[in-house]
Amino acid sequence: MDVLLQQILNGLSIASVITLIAVGVTLIFGLTGIINFAHGEFLMVGSIVTWLAVSNGVSFWLAIILAMIVVAVMGFALERGLFRFTLERPTNGFIVSLGLIIVLQHIVILFWNANQKSIPRPLNTVWEIGGVRIASVRVMVIFITAAVVAMTFVAITRSRYGRALRASVEDRDTAALMGIPVRRYITGVFVLGSALAGLGGGLLIALFPITPFTGGTMVMKGFAVALIGGLGNLTGAVVAGLILGIVEGLSAGYGFSGWTDAYSFGLMILVLLFRPNGLFGGTSGPKMA
Amino acid sequence: MLLTISDMTTGYGPTIVNRGVSLTLAAREIVTVLGPNGAGKSTLLRTLAGLVKPRSGSVIFDGADVTGQAPDVMAKRGIVLVPEGRRIFTDMTVEENLRLGAYTRRDGEGVDADVRTMESFFPILAVKRREKGGSLSGGQQQMLAIARGLMARPRILLLDEPSLGLSPLLVKEIQGIILGIGDRFGASVLLVEQNAGLALSVASRGYLMQNGRIATSGPIEELRDMSLMRELYLGGVAG
Repeated sequence: MDVLLQQILNGLSIASVITLIAVGVTLIFGLTGIINFAHGEFLMVGSIVTWLAVSNGVSFWLAIILAMIVVAVMGFALERGLFRFTLERPTNGFIVSLGLIIVLQHIVILFWNANQKSIPRPLNTVWEIGGVRIASVRVMVIFITAAVVAMTFVAITRSRYGRALRASVEDRDTAALMGIPVRRYITGVFVLGSALAGLGGGLLIALFPITPFTGGTMVMKGFAVALIGGLGNLTGAVVAGLILGIVEGLSAGYGFSGWTDAYSFGLMILVLLFRPNGLFGGTSGPKMA
Repeated sequence: MLLTISDMTTGYGPTIVNRGVSLTLAAREIVTVLGPNGAGKSTLLRTLAGLVKPRSGSVIFDGADVTGQAPDVMAKRGIVLVPEGRRIFTDMTVEENLRLGAYTRRDGEGVDADVRTMESFFPILAVKRREKGGSLSGGQQQMLAIARGLMARPRILLLDEPSLGLSPLLVKEIQGIILGIGDRFGASVLLVEQNAGLALSVASRGYLMQNGRIATSGPIEELRDMSLMRELYLGGVAG
């Protein structure tokens, strides 16, 4: 039992990082129809920024904020410079994102080589509660993610901007008729999604060493989580992330950890077989007249 | 004139839809654009709302040239389209739909007050306040679409086929609502309709559109008696 709890905690901490990607992927897709596969590289850049900052003596907490800012600025530049030209044909945006994967990976390799990079753990405390050993760094990752995702959720469901965002996701043209500057919201969603990926990158390198190729597996899992929840559906992405964390934790706890990478995809295939729109129902991309 | 369209040509891709359309609208006036299906009436409204960019010609609104401006800019200036097929936000509640209509406004208390105004003008919206837009019937959605448009406090409300798919009783209700818009909300109305009966009963002037051009225009009484009108259009229309 105690080992199981530990494994679930481990599963949830990794799933937190994946959820941060999934939220960005799902928000961007919902509004633009663009499947941004380079989102994993956004995360990797977040890890690199954190690594660079920490290696230069910046505290971890400041470093992850820096990672969020740098990746958000990068997302802004890429949306303004590239993705906005693909809004009429989201498939082109998808292809642009595939190219970006290679470009971003190799820029990083060019300057900082392809070796593994790690930082000292920002929190070293390990709590022992009734025989269960809980690494505080994992709890921190889960809490930060939960807090950030909860804030995003409240902003989207409660605020005037969130309402306008949801309207734009549902029907872009009609949202524009309400006076909503949809293009600006698209930029905003790229910036928000990128900031979350930057944060995810910072949290990931606190858990594990990373390489310039880490983004690939992470975005595949993030995309699986977004699909399980229903592409374009924020609640879906969060709940699916939670489910994935528990499934990965349980399976590791029962000694099937070798299969960890298969669970998200197995789960995705199962869910899509029975619910093609995901658990919470997704959108099929923006409605355009 | 509040709105002056001069010699406007529009189209999608290689297809020209409106050719050399000119039209005027005065403050608080109700004007209709009549014509058979495919005449280009909806495109005219969509162009005014900014969803379609005109190829040539000009749109002067309240003394300013607003030709080809984006839909959110048009809405902010006070030209608001209630689109064909209502286009309610189905996943959002009735009240959220109303508040979205007021997106361009910064007077929070005024918006709160207007939500109540709409709920008294369209009582069904008060009953359904917390329900999803998608759960409303066609007639209720049309009420909501008009109310959502009015929430912007528009200077001009563009109505695209508000009677589409509604029962004669509901069409009668829509008729009363359109007639009240000028007095209660101080807006002009540009109404596009297949249902000539409704259009002729609320508008003071009309334009008859045929193959993307304005075939004729004039006071509503004159249009009603025109033989071209009957030939083109009135055959078999209720009202």
